[in-house]
Amino acid sequence: MKPEVLKIENLVKSFNGNTVISNISLSIAQGELSAIIGPNGAGKTTFFNLITGYHLPNSGKIYFEGKSIAGMQPFDIVRLGIARAFQITNIFPKLSVLENIVATVITHKKGNFNLVTPTVKLKSVYERAYQILEDVGLADRAQRQSGTLAHGNQKILDIAVALAMEPKLLLLDEPTAGMSPEERWKTVELIQKLWQQLNITMVFIEHDMDIVFGISQKVRVLCYGTMLAEGTPEEISKNDKVIEAYLGEEVE
Amino acid sequence: MDNSQPGSTKNRIIGAIVVAALVILPFILAQFGMTGEFWIWVTTEMIIMALFATSLNLILGFGGMVSFGHAAFFGVGAYTVALLMKKAGVSLLFALIAAPCVAGITAAIIGWFCVRLIGLYFAILTLAFGQLLYMIAFQWYTFTGGDDGIHGIPKPEFLDPTNFYLLCLIIFLVCFLVMRMIVNSSFGLSIRLTRENLDRAKFIGINVRRYQLINFIIAGAFAGIAGGLFTELNRFAQTEFLHWSKSGDAIFGCLVGGMYSFVGPAIGSSILIFLHIILQQIHQSLVEIWAIILGFILLAVVLFAPEGLVGLYLKITKKSET
Repeated sequence: MKPEVLKIENLVKSFNGNTVISNISLSIAQGELSAIIGPNGAGKTTFFNLITGYHLPNSGKIYFEGKSIAGMQPFDIVRLGIARAFQITNIFPKLSVLENIVATVITHKKGNFNLVTPTVKLKSVYERAYQILEDVGLADRAQRQSGTLAHGNQKILDIAVALAMEPKLLLLDEPTAGMSPEERWKTVELIQKLWQQLNITMVFIEHDMDIVFGISQKVRVLCYGTMLAEGTPEEISKNDKVIEAYLGEEVE
Repeated sequence: MDNSQPGSTKNRIIGAIVVAALVILPFILAQFGMTGEFWIWVTTEMIIMALFATSLNLILGFGGMVSFGHAAFFGVGAYTVALLMKKAGVSLLFALIAAPCVAGITAAIIGWFCVRLIGLYFAILTLAFGQLLYMIAFQWYTFTGGDDGIHGIPKPEFLDPTNFYLLCLIIFLVCFLVMRMIVNSSFGLSIRLTRENLDRAKFIGINVRRYQLINFIIAGAFAGIAGGLFTELNRFAQTEFLHWSKSGDAIFGCLVGGMYSFVGPAIGSSILIFLHIILQQIHQSLVEIWAIILGFILLAVVLFAPEGLVGLYLKITKKSET
């Protein structure tokens, strides 16, 4: 058994009395590439928001590499090594593609409080940023204003920003949402390639079952704030509860 | 687009020419007797207010936070110089060093509360703090002279209008270059991140409030220098310096010049002061409708040149290139 990166115990979150996450416990092993699926409103994004500190849990514990992180601020959690890409693209639209990454690399290296050196003189930062853009295939668009990129490429940039923080755990919230079928598979291949290359733990939320069953080692099903099932893609596809509650609906 | 990257050779040449012209200007104006002296005074005011507008733009343009309370730091700088020179009898040099320090400390206290809020709430709170300081200066007669202000601030002998102009120009250039350095640095880039996308900035590990506060303090300190110089120029400090309409002047300067460029606010603010004075020269009654004229100018800028005159200039030059 591989050591666990993330361990969650009895996590509960409610908004104004509406329980969105009710009592979820799970642990994610190091180096795992896993998927979270579930119908709309199942609490998938809220789950990510809790892990990354955007929301405070009502109760429950979150451990990252054995350290309790529930209640910490997002910017502190990121520094421990949990990065995320967003469902709705979340980049710095007026900055160039390159600047998006450069700024993140600087932040990752804790160089933000340098008030003297012009950023353009930071050679090693730029080299690193170009390398990341090469990795995700955006190097040829480095000078473009990021807000003017096509939707698919903005999503890739969002992932690249997360990668620039050299995370140990990367959370991807619907990385292929809104993409054309070809773009989807290109993105999936990219995710798989990055996962192998960087040797990190990845968790992604996805609706496309072909993608989920195609690449993930483990699948977790959320439904109305509870964990309905957890297992390998094969186990999940044969799980009666899952078929009934979730997959079954699509067939009908 | 963001135009804050270090300048091209062309921009550097233009900058050098402008600086050279500004250095020569008072010597030419000095040939024209009283009128010349008046215009030296006007250009000195333009330089000081350009510094004030540029300092505000660190918050407004680069930080993306609308502050109606920036005059508070201008006023604190002004009163610091006035009180130190008039009541404590310290030298101008020392007073001018103290001004940004006191203004910066004030900004740290006010900013500590304000950066907890964003958007409109931030703007309103800065306004409230600014007006609070204004009322304190207004009411505390024994210390600040209340409505009368503090008059008759001593002026060192060597500071004739030309020399004072040159002193202001040098201080302006130094402050300008330091602020430009900050904007182009890693810190400046981090500040722009918080403007662009507050949430994303948090998720790449930026403690947004801390950066906003430090930026607020830096901007406040530079505003304090401007306030101090303005006091010495007028040889008085008055409550008006703290009033939110003073913040408004700087905001209008940023809007007209272009708040997404570094030089924009200085240009915008200078143009507005110049227009104001010209109208005054043409006919006194035109000054009474200044607010209306200003309104039309702002309307035109917002509708036709939302990125200000610098944005307009860049658009035109870009078009002619292609």
